[in-house]
Amino acid sequence: MVLSLLPVTSIIHDPDFWWHLRAGQLILAHGGLLATDPFTYTVASHHWTMHEWLSEVLYAALQSRGGLGLIVLVLSIVTWLGLLCLLLRAALRRPNAFALGLGLLLAAVAGYPIWGPRVQMITFFLSALTLLAVERHLLRGGRAIWLLVPLFVLWSNLHSGFIIGLGFIALILIAEVSGGWLHWRDGAPSGRVRTLFYVLLACTAVSMINPNGPAILAYAFLTQGSGAQQTLILEWHSPDFHDWVVLPFGILLITLIALIAVNRRLRARDAALVAVTAALSMQSVRHIAIFVAATTPVWIDQTSMLLQKMRTRSAARRPQRPSLQFRVFTFSVLMGALVIVYASIRLLPAMRVVPNSLAYAREYPVCAARWLAQAPEPLKIFNQYGEGGYLADALSSRGDKVYIFGDAALMGDPLLYTYAGVTSVQPGWDSTIRESGTDIVLFDTATPLANVMEASTRWVKVYEDPLSVAFVPSNRVRDVKLPPVPASYPRGDPCAQLRSTAVDTTAQNQ
Amino acid sequence: MVAVEGMEHERRSEAVARLGWIIGAAVLLLVVTVQPFADANVWWHLALGRLITSHGIPAQEPFSFLPAAHPWVGQQWLLDVLLAGVVGAGGAGLASAVLGVVAACGFLLAALAIPRVSHATGPWLAFAMVLSGVVASRLIGVNAEAVSLFAVAAVLYVLARWREGRAGAVWILPPLFLVWANVDTLFAVGLLIVATTLLLASVSRSDSAASRGHLAAALAASVLLTLVNPYGPGLYASVITTAADPAIAQLTASWASPDFHTWWLRLFEAEGVLLVVLWATSGGPAPIDAVLGIAALVAALWSEAYVALFAIIALPQIALYGTRAWRLQVAPRVSSRFRVPPARARLLLFGGLIAVGAAAVVAGARQVTPAAAASYEASHYPMAAADYVAAHYPDQRLYSTDTWGGYLAYRFPTGRVVLVYDQGSTFGDAAAQSYTKIHLLQNGWEKVLRDDGIAHAIVLDTSQEASALHELGWVVACHDSVSRSVVMSAPPPGTTPAAAGPLTAPPAGSPAC
Repeated sequence: MVLSLLPVTSIIHDPDFWWHLRAGQLILAHGGLLATDPFTYTVASHHWTMHEWLSEVLYAALQSRGGLGLIVLVLSIVTWLGLLCLLLRAALRRPNAFALGLGLLLAAVAGYPIWGPRVQMITFFLSALTLLAVERHLLRGGRAIWLLVPLFVLWSNLHSGFIIGLGFIALILIAEVSGGWLHWRDGAPSGRVRTLFYVLLACTAVSMINPNGPAILAYAFLTQGSGAQQTLILEWHSPDFHDWVVLPFGILLITLIALIAVNRRLRARDAALVAVTAALSMQSVRHIAIFVAATTPVWIDQTSMLLQKMRTRSAARRPQRPSLQFRVFTFSVLMGALVIVYASIRLLPAMRVVPNSLAYAREYPVCAARWLAQAPEPLKIFNQYGEGGYLADALSSRGDKVYIFGDAALMGDPLLYTYAGVTSVQPGWDSTIRESGTDIVLFDTATPLANVMEASTRWVKVYEDPLSVAFVPSNRVRDVKLPPVPASYPRGDPCAQLRSTAVDTTAQNQ
Repeated sequence: MVAVEGMEHERRSEAVARLGWIIGAAVLLLVVTVQPFADANVWWHLALGRLITSHGIPAQEPFSFLPAAHPWVGQQWLLDVLLAGVVGAGGAGLASAVLGVVAACGFLLAALAIPRVSHATGPWLAFAMVLSGVVASRLIGVNAEAVSLFAVAAVLYVLARWREGRAGAVWILPPLFLVWANVDTLFAVGLLIVATTLLLASVSRSDSAASRGHLAAALAASVLLTLVNPYGPGLYASVITTAADPAIAQLTASWASPDFHTWWLRLFEAEGVLLVVLWATSGGPAPIDAVLGIAALVAALWSEAYVALFAIIALPQIALYGTRAWRLQVAPRVSSRFRVPPARARLLLFGGLIAVGAAAVVAGARQVTPAAAASYEASHYPMAAADYVAAHYPDQRLYSTDTWGGYLAYRFPTGRVVLVYDQGSTFGDAAAQSYTKIHLLQNGWEKVLRDDGIAHAIVLDTSQEASALHELGWVVACHDSVSRSVVMSAPPPGTTPAAAGPLTAPPAGSPAC
């Protein structure tokens, strides 16, 4: 568990983080939710379903008290608590200690592409907690399962991923009923299954207690049913097993299959969870976290079974162990050292990074936003999808508007497809930008759009840094009021550092 | 005596019914296995087959104007020659029909690669065949994959007979590998399957050591015979280079991991899940089946190109473990009226299956007529655009995507006017990077065009290349509305390109090709 802290902590890589933060600040400032989004000039009339409003408020509150570092810390703890729930759920079946440790470590590494400060970590934690509560109920019974009801009130206001929790309970119910019909081994007593059914009904009912009412249930399915989101947004793509960060997930999946094939013993609910979450994670990388939440205890259970079999066969002699005091001392020293290593190489560096820093300037248009913030009038900016959130956070207070940002459901499929047509420079890209009323195009350098605009006589380049480049239509150069491009930055400024690192890289390449 | 005769009669009618199910499913599968020239690579293979027939195997890459980074290994030379012969004899339709039948026979053979004592039922066999056939259908067609699929099925069939104790069956393997090594690189997978079986499989025979000796000897002979090819042992180096070359992954979409947003890959996923569920509910798989199944699954998750391999390996296992799982888990729990229907009903059922299959084949046969083949070519490949280029810009270098590059190699087999086509291992990383620079409009894309002296292009009218070339002042020479392609030409050297308005799709005012 201590080692698993390492992969769950990082700086903010989620491009949506920034607009969530700004939305939270606006909710606090207005004392209520916003009906439409204040960030775009393209879908400003669309109704905005703020399904994550409580998380956004939480972001804003934490940021005002402790800066981004506090958010990084809190979400690292939330993710880690999710892993702790996996440990507790696995421990209910009294697993082999080695299998338990190995499984948790594999889970922590498998989820690496997803971990980080992002709202989905709340869903990961609450999914793991829900599955822990359900498993405990099916194995031991009791009334604690009813604690899920208030949990779902909270969850449906934190993130639309609560639907996954409801889906997990429903899936387990179906599996238990079908397993009972097929006389599958290790089924839960029918009384507990019945109680779980009532809990599901109650959780579904209370999840409607949120500002969006029952509509939140339908909203949760919007992203899953959106062709544009599934096709265009990277995180919704299937895992690419040529990418090494996805390989641990592949190992978790394949070894689980092999273990099931060897052991030939699987609870009905485990089989259902494995099959459904494997299908989801194959569909989209972002669902790897759900797969990890659902299947890690199954993996640990299956590995324990295999180790048990092997131990029975080999009947190995127990080696003599050192004294208890020695073991406690060694364990404490090792854990203490690991915590110190974690804090010094992961947590503190991640917490110390401020928004205006080189680390973020490498990922987000920090320098371009600083330049645009000096413009005398608000601008309408055609931007990269993943950078809309950052620009909204940095510039919306001035009245600047972006073309698109990360709330894909709010954007709607037609806008997403139009945007994709422009970024892939399909014929008509030029008129799409102009007809939208765009003042300036701010895009990443070396992208097809930037390279074609560079070649075009109808666009003029007005700004460039190692990450971003900006163009205005050649016939509007005089109309669009832009600030002068800074010739240099003070020493130590992140934009100066960004320029110098880019120069170094170019020199190395040459 | 009467009881024994009755049992014998029952067993015979069951065997006939099972055969009926299998044949019915194989006929039905012709609908998905007989395909037009959907795989764009078929065109350059066809061009190469004609070249080999007339001039022998070329020593260098024969179609592209790029310098080849690696020596040319025409590994599929035998298939190319046969393909050219078949197309020459009966047109594209005959090639589609022949390779479709080969693939369907592969599924049939895989369905028979089950121990006879297992008594896999007809419906499970037919279901496994149809499922695997549909899963594999996007990867097979008029290509080497169809032949490899048949060869893998043949290997599985031979090994199944060997596991039953028929050691002599293994001597089919050496000639099979002799041919296979001259057709497709996947022969290496076939050798791995045999080697793994030799190590892991149990044999139902008292003198199993002698039986294993037979298989080991057949494997050794197979390996030796694979060396009988124009490149000798160099073929293995080529296989390894191909598998490890990043240029392949760059130029070949099917080398990527599967995109599970597409329905047929969802079906592959469903087949994978079904296989694991059947393993778990049927009392567990034999070690060799588990190893082959998991290895094929890993390969398919790594690269979409191996999905067909997974499908053919999973086929006999789904039928076998499906039958077992049904008998163990479902049959004891369902009432007798849902149990196996009487023989007459079953005969009627598979008769119906054959009738449906035959009707589907008749309907599908229309696809392999010369008119249908020509119509398919015109709508899926830039046929009219290539005609225009042949008439107006003979022997001049062309830019096109690697997919259409294969077709253009077929249309312009001499003169070296093509940039790249789907043969990444020959072109190497530098060529792949040059191509992707233009294709993905990366920094320096215009320079690559200039440096390579490319002044004409055939691209889709909605492509980013069309927009980008337009911004450089290239003009649309003609528009092929059937394939939605355009021929674009650079402004003459020394002239300043006119300030262009935005490009539209289809391009306004351009002449038809």
